[in-house]
Amino acid sequence: MRHSMMQSDVENRGLILDPRTKLFLLITMATFVLGGAGSDGLWFLTPCLCLIPLVLLLFSRKYKAAIKYSIIYLTMYFSFHYFGQKTTGITNFLLLGTTGIITRFMPNLMLGLYVVSTTTVSEFTAAMLRLHVSEKLIIPLSVMFRFFPTVTDEFSSINAAMRMREISFGGKNVKKMLEYRLVPLLTCSSRIGEELSAAALTRGLGGNVRRTNVCEIGFHIQDFILILLCFVPFLLVILPLSRVL
Amino acid sequence: MKNEKLKGKDLINVGIYSAIYFVIIFALAMLGYIPIFMPLLCVVGPIIGGIPFMLFLTKVKKFGMILVMSIIMGILMLLTGMGYYALIVGTISGLLAELVYWSGRYKSESKAVLASGVFSVWIWGNFIPLFTNIEGYFSTRQDFGQQYIDTLTNLMPAWMCPTLLVSAFLSGIIGGLLGKAILKKHFIGAGLV
Repeated sequence: MRHSMMQSDVENRGLILDPRTKLFLLITMATFVLGGAGSDGLWFLTPCLCLIPLVLLLFSRKYKAAIKYSIIYLTMYFSFHYFGQKTTGITNFLLLGTTGIITRFMPNLMLGLYVVSTTTVSEFTAAMLRLHVSEKLIIPLSVMFRFFPTVTDEFSSINAAMRMREISFGGKNVKKMLEYRLVPLLTCSSRIGEELSAAALTRGLGGNVRRTNVCEIGFHIQDFILILLCFVPFLLVILPLSRVL
Repeated sequence: MKNEKLKGKDLINVGIYSAIYFVIIFALAMLGYIPIFMPLLCVVGPIIGGIPFMLFLTKVKKFGMILVMSIIMGILMLLTGMGYYALIVGTISGLLAELVYWSGRYKSESKAVLASGVFSVWIWGNFIPLFTNIEGYFSTRQDFGQQYIDTLTNLMPAWMCPTLLVSAFLSGIIGGLLGKAILKKHFIGAGLV
């Protein structure tokens, strides 16, 4: 996931969604699956919402992730409901804890994986501009997404070098592990960062002019379907309340 | 000095240090993937993240840089599917950390350590969903019996919520001290700060 963070392959990604739809999806999932809102009386809601990441992963041709997700989620879901009643004591405690947390967090994490692996930095920037987010947030964000691959690359090279010097788990110098990794990482990335900022400034980042973007984003039929789907749980929660009033 | 606006170079610096910070937190999150140990991230994350954060603070000279970094962490958490809770918490804690460091005129070292502690509270935001709507979550599972409910309430008791908050803050301060020591040992001599 790290190498594919916001570095999507544009040609081969199947169904395209607007980044704003993805944000709305993330918020809906966070409210209902992660936050557990409206779970009283709407027990069927959570499993239904958990299908969304699966469908999206399938449409964007990430079959491996989709299969892994469905296997893990189903195992956890059934062991939660089946073994949860059968076991007692410490086993029960560990089992319910693990399965409970995973069934709550995993659908959201999978949706997150889908979002970061199918959105490009330009698309994301364009969506942020349309949402009228301040430049002060957009510039650091786009720099950061550009910088991720560099940092992870440096990090893995340093890791390899330190493993050769036996500074790793199971090696001779476990104590030095942290210092000998972080210090070179910080030193080289702050150097690279300075070069990057000089390069970006020459391209006019942070100037007074409004920057243009070649990415075309917009809502299509698939966006409308998903947005409508996202309104369903909100309505299901709000409607009973209004009847009481 | 405090009235100066953020310019391109400052914003790029924020982006670079956010990237380093996030990669480190992300690598740690991969280590702590066993759900039971997840709360430990509240301790380990701030301690190790404190090192790049202290280096970042040496570059902070204008109002808003810490706040922007904190909001960015929140946005990243939203994008990677951890919910919007960290965004809300991060905005508040980032502003507080900014005010703490600002009150030291962006120079004071002890205020920098304190700012690192306050900043680290954003991590706690990720744990809020474990504590929200506990009653509603359990009411659907009444058929599992009282024992089940007791088990889960023991696993995530309500007092854990403030404990995690305090531990994130304290670990942030330890991380800040650690970062300060490492800065002294390596970066000041090398002329990087």
